[in-house]
Amino acid sequence: MTDITPFDDRPDEALGARIRAALDRPGIEALVARVRGALVEADSPWDVLARWAPRGLVAAAAAAAVLWFLMPAPAPAPVPGPIASAPVQMEVSPGQAEAVVLTVALLEGR
Amino acid sequence: MEEAGLARRAAGGDPEAFGALVERYAPAARRVAGAILGPGDEADDAVQDGFLAAWKAIARFDPDRAFRPWLMRVVANAARDLHRRRKVRQAGELPEHAASRDPLPDRAADHSLFRETLRAALETLPERQRIAVVLFDAEGYGHAEIAEVLQVPEGTVRSYVFHARRALRQALGAFREDDA
Repeated sequence: MTDITPFDDRPDEALGARIRAALDRPGIEALVARVRGALVEADSPWDVLARWAPRGLVAAAAAAAVLWFLMPAPAPAPVPGPIASAPVQMEVSPGQAEAVVLTVALLEGR
Repeated sequence: MEEAGLARRAAGGDPEAFGALVERYAPAARRVAGAILGPGDEADDAVQDGFLAAWKAIARFDPDRAFRPWLMRVVANAARDLHRRRKVRQAGELPEHAASRDPLPDRAADHSLFRETLRAALETLPERQRIAVVLFDAEGYGHAEIAEVLQVPEGTVRSYVFHARRALRQALGAFREDDA
């Protein structure tokens, strides 16, 4: 172990192998299976929603902004004048007048 | 599939891609957690906590950046949290004495003794030096990646690796090359 050069800018492969040997334990497959199981258990529908929500909101906001830019501005609706000032004109044809008179006479029992 | 593609899919919420990344990085994550907590069941708990935390935060991961420093930062933080909780738990307890071991006469004993000495030497290092030397020499991370894991400048990482190597060399100096 006297060949470790602290100034060396490259990884010391001999030291690295020894550190791995010192820190490794058997059973990495079991650990991977355990982690994967925990991930499945932890993944409730709410977690899925929470993970997707920020992207979904950003996408929705972007789509709304694009639509807002692309849509033509609506034409202003015509403003109606004041009702009191609108001219009232009744047109009654001669036949209609006779029908009205007849109806009134019937109702009054004449 | 390569890391960037898996990370991109995982960042999009693909659990299979994240599972493949778990498989790929579990050994390194276990060694990093082991460097902080000592190799054992607690390191495995930290690895699990770290991967769960990474999965919950995956939407915040930028897929244009490297995945492994981001992941190792999350795992290292999980291990540190566990370490803090353990220290609080042990605060009122009696200090743990090292178990006495009968010296074994064969070469297996030499190897075992070397590993134990290396572990003990790692434990004496400040935590950041430990993580730096494990990531640099054992995992092949670059200085920039380690800087991202530890959130320090690259020059500081170089200094950590330098001091850690020097301390390890001193601690292991008595061993012959073939004891390792």
